[in-house]
Amino acid sequence: MKKTVIITLVVGIMTLFSANAQKEMDQFMVQVDGLGCPFCAYGLEKKFKEFKGIKKVKIDIETGDFSFSYPAEKALTMEAVEKQVEKAGYTPITSKIIRANGSVEESGTSVSAIRSDKSLIAEKIHVAGKCGMCEARILKATKDIPGVATASWDVDTKMLLVNFDPTATSMNAIEEGVAAAGHDTKNIKATDSKYKGLPACCKYERIEY
Amino acid sequence: MNELNIKKMKHLFIVLIALLFLASCMQQEEGPKEWVLQKTIELDGINPIGITNMNDTLWLSDGDHNRVVQINSEGKITKRIDSLERPMHIDAQEGNLFIPQYGNDIVLRQANTGGTQSLYDASKDSLDAPAGVSAYKEELAIADFYNNRILYYNGSDWISFGKEGKANGYFYYPTDVQLTEDKIWVADAYNNRIQVFDKKGVFLQKMGEDQKMNAATGIYVSEREVLVTDFENNRVLVFDHEGLLKQILTKEIDKPTDMIIKNEILYILSYRKGTISQYELVEKVAATNK
Repeated sequence: MKKTVIITLVVGIMTLFSANAQKEMDQFMVQVDGLGCPFCAYGLEKKFKEFKGIKKVKIDIETGDFSFSYPAEKALTMEAVEKQVEKAGYTPITSKIIRANGSVEESGTSVSAIRSDKSLIAEKIHVAGKCGMCEARILKATKDIPGVATASWDVDTKMLLVNFDPTATSMNAIEEGVAAAGHDTKNIKATDSKYKGLPACCKYERIEY
Repeated sequence: MNELNIKKMKHLFIVLIALLFLASCMQQEEGPKEWVLQKTIELDGINPIGITNMNDTLWLSDGDHNRVVQINSEGKITKRIDSLERPMHIDAQEGNLFIPQYGNDIVLRQANTGGTQSLYDASKDSLDAPAGVSAYKEELAIADFYNNRILYYNGSDWISFGKEGKANGYFYYPTDVQLTEDKIWVADAYNNRIQVFDKKGVFLQKMGEDQKMNAATGIYVSEREVLVTDFENNRVLVFDHEGLLKQILTKEIDKPTDMIIKNEILYILSYRKGTISQYELVEKVAATNK
């Protein structure tokens, strides 16, 4: 009788622990470079379904906010998540993980600090693209360059306006950065492989040089 | 034949000629028409992607909420099928709903009696994000988005045609398909055009390439017209069957995904705003509101 009670208690405790472990989920929040259409958004979701055990997948098409939860025991890394986003053809802008144990991990665009005494110059350059997703990608590529203070790109005129510190960077470096993200600029063409890697809705008409 | 019968025949002949003449005059009086916005209805928390007509009621796919819903004339939900995975461009025939599920690669036939059946045996050749389906008599067609192909069932066998590319007969993410008597019409979304094939998958024609569309995501082919949604540009383009552009609709259209004509009313879905706009055909001279 005593033995039976002990076994029942042990099994009960183990079941409780196991259930708790299953319930423990890490929360992931990723902002991707805009999700222009349902086809793109659902495509991203589809790629993430390759992670077995993924739950509560939520996508905001307007903002590009993408969130899901994943079993903590699998210890999914930030790097793996960002790689999967890139595999789906998108660019992660910021990522945040709230682990089941309460710890928080964050990654994202590091905004380069520009000293206030630096004099900035403003320049405009033609950059090819065609949608909101293109805009997000072009701006991320531009703002990632040390020395760039602000950037904006107009989907209709295709003009990129940049304010930057000329002692830290140059228009050539900015064009190189944007082309490396897959977008032809006035003077620098993106490689074919980069262009091919863009999502379907971002396939702009290439610039003739 | 006696004389009386000959007289009767003569009279009948005269009456027939007169009727034909009258009909011809009436046809001549009918001027060119165009689609004009009548009203827009807000949908009941729906982000619509596909639309179809089953038993004279409208059904919508609501991909964001993983469901297909029946709506009434006020846009309120009257029936719903839940637990789907990203249903896209649906179709209906004889009490059956055809539902392509982008999220799990299954195309369902849902009978109004409640039974469901998977349409395509993916055990050997799986779909990758079916985005559109069309049913016509015994025939079926599926737009297989990530595989850049169309699958066509002729009543006994499936054939597949198309692969990724820009040339005629190639696709860049097809999102919708429609079967008619002798043709297969495809919304070749990111090639920004419509392509037309015969039922062996042979390319026949294309249209809309010169219209600078940005994602031709939905197609509807009526007896006289071909309508296509230009998603990013917030337009619906109306062509004749030869590909001649007849009209561009823009009013109260925001990220359109699909459309249908039912009882001579054109219903256009706006995905972003969650609305359905109704257009009617009116005499062109009387039109003031495009």
